Amino acid sequence: MATEAAPMDEKAKRMRDLLSSFYTPDPSISTPTSSISTSFDNINGPSFDADQYMDLMIKKSNLDVLLQRHVQMAAEIKNLDTDLQMLVYENYNKFISATDTIKRMKSNIFGMEGNMDQLLHKIMSVQSRSDGVNTSLFEKREHIEKLHRTRNLLRKVQQFIYDLPARLQKCIKSEAYGDAVRFYTGAMPILKVYGDTSFKDCRRASEEAIETIIKNLQTKLFSDSESIQARAEAAVLLKQLDVPVDSLKDKLLEKLEQSLDGLQINPDEASKLAEHNVSSKDEESNNQGPAKIHEDAVRGFSEAMRAYREIFPDSEERLFKLARALTTTHFENMELYIRKRVSAADFLGIFRIIWEDVVLMDEVLPEAALSDLSAEAAQVTLKQFVARTFSHLQQDISDTLLKFDINQKEVVDGEVLKVVLEASGKAEFRQLLDENTGIFVKMNDLLIGWIQKGFQDFFSEKIHAGLILVLAQLSVVIEQKVIPRIAEEITASFSGGNSQAFIPGELCRVFHAASEKLLQHYIDTRTQKISNVLRKRFKTPNWVKHKEPREVHMYVDMLLQQLEEVGKEVKQILPQGTFRKHKRSDSNGSNTTTSSRSTTLHSDKMARSNSQRARSQLFETHLAKLFKQKVEIFTKVEFTQESVVTTTVKLCLKSLQEYVRLQTFNRSGFQQIQLDIQFLKAPLKETVEDEAAIDFLLDEVIVAASERCLDVTPLEPPILDKLIQAKLAKSKEHNNNNNKTTVSS
Amino acid sequence: MQGGSSGIGYGLKYQARCISDVKADTDYTSFLTGTLSLKEENEVHLLRLSSGGSELICEGLFSHPNEIWDLASCPFDQRIFSTVFSTGESFGAAIWQIPELYGQLNSPQLERVASLDAHVDSVLWWPSGRCDKLISMDEQNIFLWSLACSNKSAEVLSKDSAGMLHSLSGGAWDPHDVNAVAATGESSVQFWDLRTMKKVNSIERAHVRGVDYNPKREHILITAEDESGIHVWDLRKAKAPVQELPGHTHWTWAVKCNPEYDGLILPVGSTRQRVNLLLNSYTDYEDSVYGLAWSSREPWVFASLSYDGRVVIESVKPFLPRL
Repeated sequence: MATEAAPMDEKAKRMRDLLSSFYTPDPSISTPTSSISTSFDNINGPSFDADQYMDLMIKKSNLDVLLQRHVQMAAEIKNLDTDLQMLVYENYNKFISATDTIKRMKSNIFGMEGNMDQLLHKIMSVQSRSDGVNTSLFEKREHIEKLHRTRNLLRKVQQFIYDLPARLQKCIKSEAYGDAVRFYTGAMPILKVYGDTSFKDCRRASEEAIETIIKNLQTKLFSDSESIQARAEAAVLLKQLDVPVDSLKDKLLEKLEQSLDGLQINPDEASKLAEHNVSSKDEESNNQGPAKIHEDAVRGFSEAMRAYREIFPDSEERLFKLARALTTTHFENMELYIRKRVSAADFLGIFRIIWEDVVLMDEVLPEAALSDLSAEAAQVTLKQFVARTFSHLQQDISDTLLKFDINQKEVVDGEVLKVVLEASGKAEFRQLLDENTGIFVKMNDLLIGWIQKGFQDFFSEKIHAGLILVLAQLSVVIEQKVIPRIAEEITASFSGGNSQAFIPGELCRVFHAASEKLLQHYIDTRTQKISNVLRKRFKTPNWVKHKEPREVHMYVDMLLQQLEEVGKEVKQILPQGTFRKHKRSDSNGSNTTTSSRSTTLHSDKMARSNSQRARSQLFETHLAKLFKQKVEIFTKVEFTQESVVTTTVKLCLKSLQEYVRLQTFNRSGFQQIQLDIQFLKAPLKETVEDEAAIDFLLDEVIVAASERCLDVTPLEPPILDKLIQAKLAKSKEHNNNNNKTTVSS
Repeated sequence: MQGGSSGIGYGLKYQARCISDVKADTDYTSFLTGTLSLKEENEVHLLRLSSGGSELICEGLFSHPNEIWDLASCPFDQRIFSTVFSTGESFGAAIWQIPELYGQLNSPQLERVASLDAHVDSVLWWPSGRCDKLISMDEQNIFLWSLACSNKSAEVLSKDSAGMLHSLSGGAWDPHDVNAVAATGESSVQFWDLRTMKKVNSIERAHVRGVDYNPKREHILITAEDESGIHVWDLRKAKAPVQELPGHTHWTWAVKCNPEYDGLILPVGSTRQRVNLLLNSYTDYEDSVYGLAWSSREPWVFASLSYDGRVVIESVKPFLPRL
C-alpha cells in the first residue's frame, strides 16, 4: 500500500495542481519552474504540444514502445476520467449539502425580525432602569467620595496637630513668631473643640509654647529699642493671638500721657525757655538750652505718637485727644504765664515754641486739625495778651502818675510820655506786629483790630484828658515811625514780598484815623469842661435885671485857668509847630483872598470903633457881614501845641457866643459881657497863634450880646480900663499870695 | 460839593431861629418861619416853594407881637401854628390862626386862637395825625393841653414837674405812640407817658440840644449834643447809643430825621450844616444855623434857617440814589 500511496500522492498532487491551475487565471505564476524543464515532453505542462509530442514519439520509438505507450496512455486517460468523475461527484455532493444548508438557514431566519424588535425594546427598558439606579446612587457616591477626601484631610490635620508643639518650639528658636502664630491660630479651632480628646497633650504643649511667644512678643512691643515695624508686627501678632491688646495700648498711651507732663511749658520756667530760644537762635552752637531739650522731647513725643499710630491704627482718636490736650495745656500754661507781666519778646518766644510743637505734631496727625485748634487757642491767648498789654500799659501810666506828686504835672506827663512811647510804642506793638510766624500773618488783621479797639476802650473811659493826648501822640508815633520800620523789617525777612497780610498803608491809615480821633476827643473833653463853666455862668443870673458891672467876673479866671491847663498839657506832649504868629491867612484856610484882607480891615475897624459900634448896631452888623463873613474859623487840627490850643480857644469863644445869643441882656448885663471880653482879649491873644481869628470871635461875642441887649450902652473906655487894671492888680496879688503860700509850705 | 449855590435863598429882615414845615398843606411845599428881634416888630413868614422848585415865594407876612423862639405848624390844619415867644423877661406860647388871605400881603393880624399861659420853652404837636392835644414844656414842668380851635380855648389837661434841676429845654413827640414824649433836660433825655404823666425812662446824656424820633422805625431816637456830636439810640436798650455820628466842629443844634427816607439824618450846628450819613455838607451859611425842617410833601427837600435870617431850601435828590 505504501507504494500505492506514493503514486496516489503524486496523483493527488497533480490533480491539485491542475485544479489550482484551473482556478488560477494566470498559470505562469503558479508553475514558473516546471514549465521550462518540461516544456514539450511534459504532458502536464501548460506548453505541451500534442503534435510535437507525437512527432517526437514516432521518430524516437518503435512500434512496441509506441504500443506500450499507447496502452499506458489509455490507462492513464482512464484513470484521469475516473478521477475527474470522482471530483465532480464530490463537488456536487458538497454543493447539494450547501444548498440544503442555505435552505435550512432561510427557514431559520424567518421570524427573527419580531424577536429582534422585542429584544431592542427590552434592552431599552433595561437601560432606563440602569440610569435610574445610577442617579439614585450618585449622591451617596459623591458623599462617600467627600468623606473619603475629608478623611484624608483629617489624617493630614492630625499629623499637623501632632507636629504642632515641635514646630512651635522650632519657631521660637528661630524667632519666626509670625509663622508660629499662623500655625497656632490655624490649629486653634481644632484645639479648642477637640482639645480634650486625644490632642490633650498636644494642646498643652502648644499652649505652653504660645505663652512663651506671647511673652516674647510683649517684651518686644514694650522695648523702645525695637524698630517700629517690629513692634507694630508684634502688636498685630498679639492681637491675632487674642491677647487683650487694648489694655496694652492703654498702658502705652498712659505712659505717653504721663510723658505729657514733662512736655508742658512750665509757666515759671517759660521765660527761661523763651530766653534760650531767642539766644539759641542767635548762636546755633548753643544747643543745650532748655528750648532745645523741650524741642527734643516734643520730637520724641511726636515720634512715639507716630509709632503708636502705626501700631494701633484704631487708637487715632485717643492720640488726637492727647495731642489736643497737649496743645490746650500749652495754651493754658501760656495764659498762666502771661498773667504775669511778660515782654512781647518772651511771649513771642513761647508762642514760637508752641507753634513749632504744633507743627511737629501736625505732621504726625494731620487729621487732628491741630493747627486749627491752636489757631483758635492762639487767637484767644493773643487777645488776652493784647488785653493784658493794655492793662499793663494802663498800670504803667497810673503807676507813674502815682509815683509823683500830682502838683508836679510836668514831670508826670513827661514820664508818662516816656514810658508809653518807649516801652510800649517801640517795643510791644512793634514786636507784636512784626511777628512773622505763620499764625501771626493770619491774625494780623485781628490783632490790629484789637489794638484799635483797645485804644477805643481806653479813651472811652473817663480818664485824665492828658492821657488821651498822650495816646494821640502815640498813634502818631506809631504811624510815622513804627510802621515804616516794621514794613522795612518785613520786607527784609520776606524777600519774596508775600507779606500781603501786612499793609503798612492801611495800618498807617488806621493809626492816623485813631490819632485824629484821639486828638479830637481830647479837644472835646477839654471844651466840654470849659462849656460847663460857661453854662453855669450864663444860666444862673437874671441878665435882664443885671446890676452895673463892678469888676471882671470870676468865671474869666476859671476859663483862663482851664486854658492854661490845656496849654501845659499840650506843651509837654505835642511838638511845637513852626512859628507862624500873625500869619492870619492860616485861619482862613482855603478861602478867597478877600477874606484875609477883610479880617485886617475888620480888626482895624474893631480897634477904632469898639464903643460906637454897639449903638449903630444894625448898620454895623450888616456892614461887618459884607467884609468879615466867610472867615473859616475852624481849620483842621494839627498835631502841634499851637494848633490844639488855638482850636480849643476858638471852640470856647464860639460856645460863649452861643450862650450869649440865648440870653437877653439889660444895659448892665451887656456892659458886664463887654468888660469880661475886653479883659479876656490880652491873655487869649498871648496863648494863641491866630490873633485875627480870636479878635473876630471875641468881637462876635460882643455883637451877639449887643443884639440880645435891650439897651446897648457900652462902658466908656476909661471905666473899662480902670476895671481891667483893678482886675489885673488883683490877680497879680492873688498870684503872689499863691506863690508865697507855696514857698512857705 | 462845597458851597450851596444849588440852594434857593430867602432873606428875613431880622435874625431868626425857627422854621417849620407846613405839613397840612398838601398842595404846596410850604414853610413857616418867625423872626427873633428884640427891639423891632417881629414877623411870621409863610413861604411857598414855587411849583418848579426854583423860587421861594412869600405867601404871607404877619406881624407877631414878640420875638419868636420856637414855631411849629399844626400837622392837620395848615392855618394853625404855635409860637414860643419871649417878652424880654419871660417866655410864653400861643396858638395862632392865619387869617384867610385874599391876595393882600399887608401884614394882616394873626388871630390868636389860644394862649398857653405858662412859662413855656417849647410846644409840641403830635406829628402823625389829627390830635387835639398839645404839649408844652417849661424848665421844670411838662403840660398836656386840650385844644379847641372852635371856641378858641386851650386848657391844661395834666401836668407834671420834672424837678428843679432838670431844666427842660425841648423835646419830641413819638410819632409811633401818642402817649410817649421825649424831653431834653440839663443832664438827660427824659421819656414821659402822657397817660400817667410820669417819667418812664431816661437816657443819661448831658447837653442834648436836639432830639428827634425816627418816623420810619419805632424806638429809634436821634440826639444832637453840644460837644459830642450825634447819637442814634434804640430806646429798648437805652444804656448806650446804637450809633455815633460825627457832629459839627462846634455844637450840633438840631437834628431831624427825614420823614420818608430811613437813615437820612440832617443835623445843623453853629459851624456848618450837613446831611448824614455824610452825603453832603452844605456850607453856604454865614452864621450859626438853628432852624431846620424837612418837607413832608417833598421829602428830599429841606429848609434851613441861619441866625442872620437866611432861609435856604436845598434838595438832597442828587444824593438819594446812593442810599
